[in-house]
Amino acid sequence: MRNLLYLIFRFSAFLAFLVLELICFYLIVNYNKSQGEIWAHSSNLFVGSINARSQKVEDFFELNQKNDSLLLENARLLETILNFRMTSENNAFQDFEETLQDSTLDYQLIPANVVSKTIHLRNNYLTLSKGKKDGLKVGMGVLGKNGVIGIIKSLSDNYATVLLILNGQSRTSVKILNKEYHGNLVWESSDPRLMNLKDVPRHANISKGDTIVTSGYSISYPANVHLGTIDAINYIKGSNSYDIDVRLDYDLSNISYAYVVAFQKKEEKETVVELQDE
Amino acid sequence: MNKQVTRNIIRAVFILAIQVILLKRNLTLGEFNYVHLTVYSVIIAMFPYNWNRTLIIFLGFATGLFVDIFYDSIGVHAGATTFIAYVRYYILNWMSPTEGYKKDSLTAYQLGVPWFFTYVAIIIFLHLIFLYSLEAFSFVYLKEIILRTVFSFIASLFLVMFGSLIFNPKY
Repeated sequence: MRNLLYLIFRFSAFLAFLVLELICFYLIVNYNKSQGEIWAHSSNLFVGSINARSQKVEDFFELNQKNDSLLLENARLLETILNFRMTSENNAFQDFEETLQDSTLDYQLIPANVVSKTIHLRNNYLTLSKGKKDGLKVGMGVLGKNGVIGIIKSLSDNYATVLLILNGQSRTSVKILNKEYHGNLVWESSDPRLMNLKDVPRHANISKGDTIVTSGYSISYPANVHLGTIDAINYIKGSNSYDIDVRLDYDLSNISYAYVVAFQKKEEKETVVELQDE
Repeated sequence: MNKQVTRNIIRAVFILAIQVILLKRNLTLGEFNYVHLTVYSVIIAMFPYNWNRTLIIFLGFATGLFVDIFYDSIGVHAGATTFIAYVRYYILNWMSPTEGYKKDSLTAYQLGVPWFFTYVAIIIFLHLIFLYSLEAFSFVYLKEIILRTVFSFIASLFLVMFGSLIFNPKY
């Protein structure tokens, strides 16, 4: 306390100067029009820039959260589109509004972040940040924001391994949009944007630029999910089918999140397909 | 109350009266509006050397505020006088004659005209530049500030030296 008093006494001149200058400053700003205006204007500028900066920092820290919420929102929207497509195709008589109110939609999307992936190997896989705990099952399809990514191959509690369509083992049932010719999409090239479409019969009337979408025959993907366009049509001697090069419209090398498709009637459809096979 | 105090009070009243009654009427030469005779800072400059620093700062503030009331610019002159009352101490220490301030009165009579001229010049200059900076309140008007300071400084300094040589006060 004594030291403090001594300090105040010692610097009394400076303190008096400081306090009086501050009083003057206050008086100038409050009782003089032009100076007051300058002060208000420049302090607004200053405060404004500080606010903008702090908002930027805040935004940066909230990015993850915002990203997640956007992902969820996207999933909901895609879900709606997929289910709308299904209803309009399979059940033309049912009103879409009714389907929506019916809380058990055929397809539900579960958003997930991509943890790791390979693209340039012969057999490429991708790891998602969600697993059994989030309701994922083996065999579920995985979609990106623009198209098909792959199928879940194995699961742990918190992670899932996805067999990319860019994998020697991958076979995706697809069709040519509006022409209803079916085929299987495989990956034989080493170009991550080029796929091969097999088993399209020779008599099919197809042309370069036709759009390839999923067929909806498999239990993994809904129908009519976009994939790419026909790049080149090759004829194989002595074969009944074309060998078609398909160029993917999206780039699988830069995906950072994905949507897992949970098909509610999966088991039902599986049993029917099995019966058919027998 | 000793002679030093009374003399300072008389001087303050006299100079302030001249400032707010006579010198407030600007010396305008047509478009040339840069000369403002501002001499009252000499009151603060001439407070005795042995007075308490804090007291001088408060007196400076009071003087400035008094002028502000007449100039209708609350705070502007007070800010400038508070500033020179504060820096006065450092200027005096820096300009200290070899034998020190014997009589404590900072007048041309006691310390010689050259010393007094330099001292008053520094004080007036600092006062004016601070005053016009506060008046403009933004360095956007830097040219205006400098022009006003320079012309007012020359005119005010002449006036102060003129008065000082006429009255030639002891205290």
